[in-house]
Amino acid sequence: MEFSTILGAWVAVFLTLGIFSYLYKDNPFYKFAEHLFVGVSAGYWTAIFFWTQIQPNLFGRLFPAKVYGPDSDTPFIYNLLSFISSSVFPEGGIDKGHDQHFIYLIPLALGMMMLLSLIPSINWFARWGIAYTVGMAAGLRAYGYLNSNVIGQVKGTAVNIFNSSLPFFSLSEPSIFNNMIIIVGTICGLLYFYFSKEHTGILGKASKVGIYFLMISFGASFGFAVMGRISLLIGRFNDLIKFSSTEYYHATIWVLIAVIAILGYASYLEKENKSQIADTDQGSVQEEE
Amino acid sequence: MSKIQDTFLKIGSIDRRWIFLIIAAVVIVPLIFPVGLPIRPTDTTKNVYDSIEKLPAGSKVLLSVEYSPSTRPENHPMTISILRHLFKNNHKVFITCLWPDGQFMAQDAINQVAKQEFNKTYGVDYVFLGFRPGNEAVVKGIVSNLRKLYTVDVYQKKIDEIPLMNGINNFKDFDFLFSSSAGFPGTIEWVQYASDPTGIPMASGVTSIQVNEVMPYVQAGQMVGVLAGMPGAAEYEALINQKGSATSGMDAQSVAHLVIVLFIILGNVSFFIERNRSKKY
Repeated sequence: MEFSTILGAWVAVFLTLGIFSYLYKDNPFYKFAEHLFVGVSAGYWTAIFFWTQIQPNLFGRLFPAKVYGPDSDTPFIYNLLSFISSSVFPEGGIDKGHDQHFIYLIPLALGMMMLLSLIPSINWFARWGIAYTVGMAAGLRAYGYLNSNVIGQVKGTAVNIFNSSLPFFSLSEPSIFNNMIIIVGTICGLLYFYFSKEHTGILGKASKVGIYFLMISFGASFGFAVMGRISLLIGRFNDLIKFSSTEYYHATIWVLIAVIAILGYASYLEKENKSQIADTDQGSVQEEE
Repeated sequence: MSKIQDTFLKIGSIDRRWIFLIIAAVVIVPLIFPVGLPIRPTDTTKNVYDSIEKLPAGSKVLLSVEYSPSTRPENHPMTISILRHLFKNNHKVFITCLWPDGQFMAQDAINQVAKQEFNKTYGVDYVFLGFRPGNEAVVKGIVSNLRKLYTVDVYQKKIDEIPLMNGINNFKDFDFLFSSSAGFPGTIEWVQYASDPTGIPMASGVTSIQVNEVMPYVQAGQMVGVLAGMPGAAEYEALINQKGSATSGMDAQSVAHLVIVLFIILGNVSFFIERNRSKKY
């Protein structure tokens, strides 16, 4: 096995156990793993976003190789940028199959405006970029939600209770009983969120039924959440078991022993310090008396 | 009676770290010594399997990978199993990612299934389009004009030079969509902006935590089916008759659930005893 694979396994084991060590109490192993994760994630995302969108789809449309081929010269600004970074702006234009579109200067400007939020005196420029993003997202989502979450779900709820072709009761297949549950659950659930009238009488009873439906739904969500967390734990344990083999020089066992020993020793020192402080305080009180 | 109640109260006030340790133990033991509990596919999983089975050979299937290493134990077995099923039935696979980390997950699945197990040819049997930032805007872009969004694949090869991309211009050119999703952007965005407006059938494999969010779309017929978390992945492994990491994790999952239910019962008993005592005094 390659050295890099073994080293990777040791690092993975250390970081996994570092994160798990938080279950005992907050400690430097956990802090190191957490900070490393946040830092690496931010760096990785920035690099991926740049090389998958900004470089090919933005710069690639402003300075395409199709326009600046071997016969024509690239503009001064491009040559300057190419001098600064030839990997981002290669000689002869960016060859990602795009035509030239100067309209992309607008998203470039909006993106640069967002970066200006770092300069307090002109950070108001960032509002333009944010306003565009929020407006675009709101418009895009309004349609999606209306079509799929409102119309689609209303269609799914509009069932025929007395459909004679259906059996009266079935757990998994459509049935008259299941259709009745859907209708009662939907109506009562909605009534619970109707606040224009006091929840008394029939409305109170119906909204109470609605609460039970909501509670069942929350219970199911909680159950699934627990299942998800256990699945992730299984995933990490699978790796830890794999890395405890001789192939990886028993990485899990050694790192586990080291982490437990260091945390145990730190805990012992902490206890000693506390008892020393307590003794000193007691001594000074006695002296004062 | 009072002694029994005291014991329950003691259990109720146990240090939470002991509970963590017990959960760790009940998860590790079945992983090392598997029991082999039976796995029965649910209807939602069967529907996904049947939909892919019904596709004629050579169908164009879009596989979207939207998860990161953090949910790998749940999502990755699904992606692997779906890829195995698609390649076994000789379908053409187009892979996109809505999450940047999804690119690595997809590459890992391709290496294992397309290259090692099925020896499929890149550009002829499958294409890896990769990640594009923009969340739902990317889905919308694929629906309206895929070629505007993807001019090159993940390996920077021009789309026009890939034979499998001939005739693929937008989402309507696909026959089926499978989204392996761990959150936003993911399955819900595919339903809202791709499957519902175009009518192209879709299925999904989601993390357990998402199941309640996604299930209404399945019930309303907006999705053909869903693989629900690790159990869903294990069920699919059973259906394609190729056991994987999800199947091996199900014993631990079942035992852990039993222990958690036991803790919930003990916690509640302790709570009610404490409440009754405080009422008395």
